[in-house]
Amino acid sequence: MVAGDVAYVEQVQLRDFRCFASLDLSLAPGVTVIVGANGAGKTSLLEAVGWIARARSFRGVTDSALVARGSEQAILRADVVHGERRQLLEAEIRATGRNRVLLNRHPIVRTRDLYGLLRVTMFAPDDLQLVKGGPAERREYLDDLLGMLAPRYDAARSDFDRVLRQRNALLKGGLRDPDDDSTLVVFDEQLVRAGAEIVRGRLRLLARLHPLIVEMYEEVSGSSAPLDGTYQAEWAEAPLHEGDADAVDNLLRQALVARRKQELDRGITLVGPHRDDWRIVLNDLDARAQASQGEQRTLALALRLAGHELITDLSGAAPVLLLDDVFSELDAPRASALIRRLPGGQTLVTTASAIPEGVEPQRFLRVAGGTVEAE
Amino acid sequence: MALYEGPVQNLIDELGRLPGVGPKSAQRIAFYLLKAAPEDAKRLAQSIVDAKDRVSWCRRCFNIAEGELCAFCKDERRDATLLCIVEEPRDIVAIERTAEFRGRYHVLQGAISPIEGVGPDQLRVKELLHRISGEGVEEIILATNPNIEGEATAMYLARLLKPAGIRVTRIASGLPVGGDLEYADEVTLGRAFEGRREVDA
Repeated sequence: MVAGDVAYVEQVQLRDFRCFASLDLSLAPGVTVIVGANGAGKTSLLEAVGWIARARSFRGVTDSALVARGSEQAILRADVVHGERRQLLEAEIRATGRNRVLLNRHPIVRTRDLYGLLRVTMFAPDDLQLVKGGPAERREYLDDLLGMLAPRYDAARSDFDRVLRQRNALLKGGLRDPDDDSTLVVFDEQLVRAGAEIVRGRLRLLARLHPLIVEMYEEVSGSSAPLDGTYQAEWAEAPLHEGDADAVDNLLRQALVARRKQELDRGITLVGPHRDDWRIVLNDLDARAQASQGEQRTLALALRLAGHELITDLSGAAPVLLLDDVFSELDAPRASALIRRLPGGQTLVTTASAIPEGVEPQRFLRVAGGTVEAE
Repeated sequence: MALYEGPVQNLIDELGRLPGVGPKSAQRIAFYLLKAAPEDAKRLAQSIVDAKDRVSWCRRCFNIAEGELCAFCKDERRDATLLCIVEEPRDIVAIERTAEFRGRYHVLQGAISPIEGVGPDQLRVKELLHRISGEGVEEIILATNPNIEGEATAMYLARLLKPAGIRVTRIASGLPVGGDLEYADEVTLGRAFEGRREVDA
């Protein structure tokens, strides 16, 4: 792939951002390994790059956690290069109150306006929860990928959440009013519209993702293992597949009728994508409950890498890849194999330990005491 | 916890009940008023009293009105066979600016929202049904907001009115005219694609 196709971060300036009082850092395309002791700020660097893409931390913390103690705001400036185009992002991240974000010196009104600037794939040790955690973690993984592929899925998601809250309020009230029944019918139809779009998207996504996950799992583990996934919806009689995508509207409608009494008794919505699970089966065993810790880690990494590969395939350009502490998951041959076959975008890899033999990054950075030195 | 002397705290509390005014803004406005010239503050108080005394809801369409009927209901030149349904009086102002619509309005005074305890009963729906049978309405244009609550309200009304044999339409959603596609937000542009139509040639 031509480097010009890929967006990458060239300059990052941080002021009062976590442990960095003042940092000016140049980055380059290709693979950069960031070395440093635990707590030196390696993950915070990745967090800053991730913030550029989503205007929030991938660690799931509020923005106030990003502001250095004793300061009112953190400043993040970044130059993003995409072919001939160079864009400047400037963010004042406030401990309290609204952030101010400028793109090419113009204020951004909605966070969504930032999403086209830079795509990022992130892997962190916490991602073990993708495999080990509850269904919500896997739903979020799928829905985040869908949102990166087409913004309308983000809209469908927020529509669905709103419908769910309205519909639950109605069910909780117990339909005392004679009008409530005809109001419920209206929210049923909205639930079907937004819910079916999400389920259809997930089923089509899974069909494309599955072979990539198998490939990545093999790549990372060094051996092949039978890997399967089933999309389980409580409201459908059998697990759903891509071939069911066109029937989802009707399945949801039928389920709403069949479950009406149960929903009223419990006062919550039981039908819809918010309760579905994507169950991963490894070596004929449920990966969530029965796989070993090592297998679960490998699988989590394979999920992130497969998503990265899919976005690269469909958009024609690799997102920036942030791998936090990834070498602790891999032995030396696997680590070097992984780094060699990464799509040719910008990749930042952190490590607290020695760099595995055979891994030959284009650049090294050493983080210590709130500063970063190139080696 | 009251931090100020009685009347000042009362003022802050009352201001804080206004939509969009948080505790800090309420405090700022209160101190602005305390510093302002007495006649300025009295004029504000008087205009609130006047508005509450003289303005009420139009008896027919529930727009704001000075008197029994609002300006649109009084205007005999407006086409009574076309009825446009909106959520709030301010939506009428937006539609009037287009100068495209010459029919009459009906203000629901809200949208269906079970979270806020608003169902069809809390809206001016019964009054709407009454008008339809009495005023020779031929087409209903549903101009509620294009969000979940507005769509739910539109769908509810459509299901209610269609069986009565009345033509029911919904305003379209799409791209702002005169703009560049490049600047349209993705969701609006995506929905505009879904709602594409054949070009007459």
